[in-house]
Amino acid sequence: MSRGSAPPLAWGCLQLLLGAGLAAFSEFVPALLFLASAAPVLVLAAWNRARPAGGEPRLLPAISVPVVVLAVGAALAALGLTAGLWLSLVGAEVALFGAVWLGRELSEERGRAP
Amino acid sequence: MDGSASVALPAERAVGWLASTDHKRTAAKIAVASLFFFGLSGLLALAMRAELAQPGLQLVSDRSYDELFTMHGSGMIYLFLTPAALGLGLYLVPLQVGAAEVAAPRLALGGFWLYLCGGLAMYLGFLTDSGAGSDTWTATIPLSSSTHSPGVGMDLWVIGVALATLGSLLIALTILLTIVRLRAPGMTMLRLPVFSWTMLVTTFMVLASFPVLIVAMGLLLAERHLGGVFAGSTGSIAYQHLFWFYGHPVVYVMFFPFVGAVAEVVATFSRKRFFGYRALVVSLLLFTALSMAVWGHHMFATGAVQNQYFSLTSHLLAVPAGIEYLDLIATMVGGAILFRTPMLFALGFICQFLIGGLTGIVVASPPLDYHVNGSFFIVAHFHYTLFAGSLFGLLAGVHYWFPKATGAMLREGIGKLSFWLLAIGANLTFFPMFLLGFDGMPRRVPDYAPRLGDLNLLSSIGAGVIALGVLAFLANVCVSLRRRVPAGDDPWGAQTLEWATGSPPPRHNFDSLPPIASYAPLLDRREAREGAPA
Repeated sequence: MSRGSAPPLAWGCLQLLLGAGLAAFSEFVPALLFLASAAPVLVLAAWNRARPAGGEPRLLPAISVPVVVLAVGAALAALGLTAGLWLSLVGAEVALFGAVWLGRELSEERGRAP
Repeated sequence: MDGSASVALPAERAVGWLASTDHKRTAAKIAVASLFFFGLSGLLALAMRAELAQPGLQLVSDRSYDELFTMHGSGMIYLFLTPAALGLGLYLVPLQVGAAEVAAPRLALGGFWLYLCGGLAMYLGFLTDSGAGSDTWTATIPLSSSTHSPGVGMDLWVIGVALATLGSLLIALTILLTIVRLRAPGMTMLRLPVFSWTMLVTTFMVLASFPVLIVAMGLLLAERHLGGVFAGSTGSIAYQHLFWFYGHPVVYVMFFPFVGAVAEVVATFSRKRFFGYRALVVSLLLFTALSMAVWGHHMFATGAVQNQYFSLTSHLLAVPAGIEYLDLIATMVGGAILFRTPMLFALGFICQFLIGGLTGIVVASPPLDYHVNGSFFIVAHFHYTLFAGSLFGLLAGVHYWFPKATGAMLREGIGKLSFWLLAIGANLTFFPMFLLGFDGMPRRVPDYAPRLGDLNLLSSIGAGVIALGVLAFLANVCVSLRRRVPAGDDPWGAQTLEWATGSPPPRHNFDSLPPIASYAPLLDRREAREGAPA
């Protein structure tokens, strides 16, 4: 195990052990929640092992306005759940605009990469 | 250079700052926003302490008091300490591991904006007819159902919490990916600085627990609008399981980064290498894994959890905590300790968190927890961990790394004044609460028996002293930024990699890196120079 996967793997395994302990104490449903919570960290460890970072330089933008537009749009869409459908629709539209813009930004970035 | 000058308009500069993907600027945005929410939530605390200064005052209505303590707790946890801890990591981790950038700068930027929107949504509730969220920072069912808490204000709170938590999750994921994938050549996992290790284990907890809160908030919103989600006698218990599965680990998310900051400060100002590095790493992994297994101790009084298991795991936390305390103290033993402001805050953290930790053993024991549950004893316990502990750790880190981030030194005199005001204020405010709690004063009520008036008055005076301490800190920041005393690259004679670059660091952090043979490359270099024959 190398390149940083060992700590998340060790931590995820400790989680599984403690979750199994709780299951043994007969709290089965909470134990399932516990066992499942180890999954993101274990998946990350496996992914990092399968696809280690290459270390090559990356082209990154100095600013990214579309990310801001996407995040604010998503927040507005969520607030629309209580403020009304109109705000959800406005938010979704803003988020969609941001997502398309972000897609173009990423595509241009890939085009300029060495 | 073609000789022509280009001048950015103020609007361009603002966009350049607000949409910057530079991890240092994103972290600065988080710092400003979290300080703003700290100020708001702190004002609510002062209003609460004014109400509680004497029995029978009733400066605010019962309903307003509910809003005050709900928004104070929510603001401090969801909007101040958690984002501040992650923001500190976002700034420092790439510098400590020798990376030019974070792994996913857009993710961190998006996370900041979600967090900001979530925080503003929570506070927007004050402008609605129904008022802001008023069902405690845990929003326990059935109190937070639409029957008992109708109105838009509580909905805004629920959505705001979900957005802010999602934002924090994205920031944490960025930090985790940076540590795992962008370390400089030579920076193995066992050469990570202590602060980066604490950030790594913190992000594990975030990744495992924060999605559960987002799901819980989604279900709570569905319960409020559709009903039937947390129905029946088991609904409330199911919600509590979901909430506390997040609610306990988040306490450690607001703790471990500051343990790391304090460890760096203690090693630097003791002029020694950190004692027991590997033992600390093992204890961090064990502590954070165990801390995921203790959520049920918040539910002892429900009678619906396996008390033996959760009591056992809660008590076991004392073992890794003991290793960490031993390491911190052993680092100071025999060192040439310099009592500069960061070190004073670090010592404040070590002493005061101990009180919070030891009283944690009381509430980890079901029979004792039954006695103090829902009382001011609990309020005192978690304020000793989060205010007298975590905030002092944060301020140790802020005073330590401020010269790196700004290029200017903070004033020692004002720094020490703010430390003493905060230390006196914290103990004056929170220690009487232990006695009040043991004497039977319940939390979350705006009035109390006249016999408890003296201790409450003492506590309210303490809150005023804390406010003076915070003002002194803010004055220090303003004075130090306006009348700058240049810091240089490494004003403290520090040990870790972030001090090998400029202050403030350039856009891509490093022009060149020193050889990395341990977690303390700068100390290695100094020792090599001092050990070399003249």
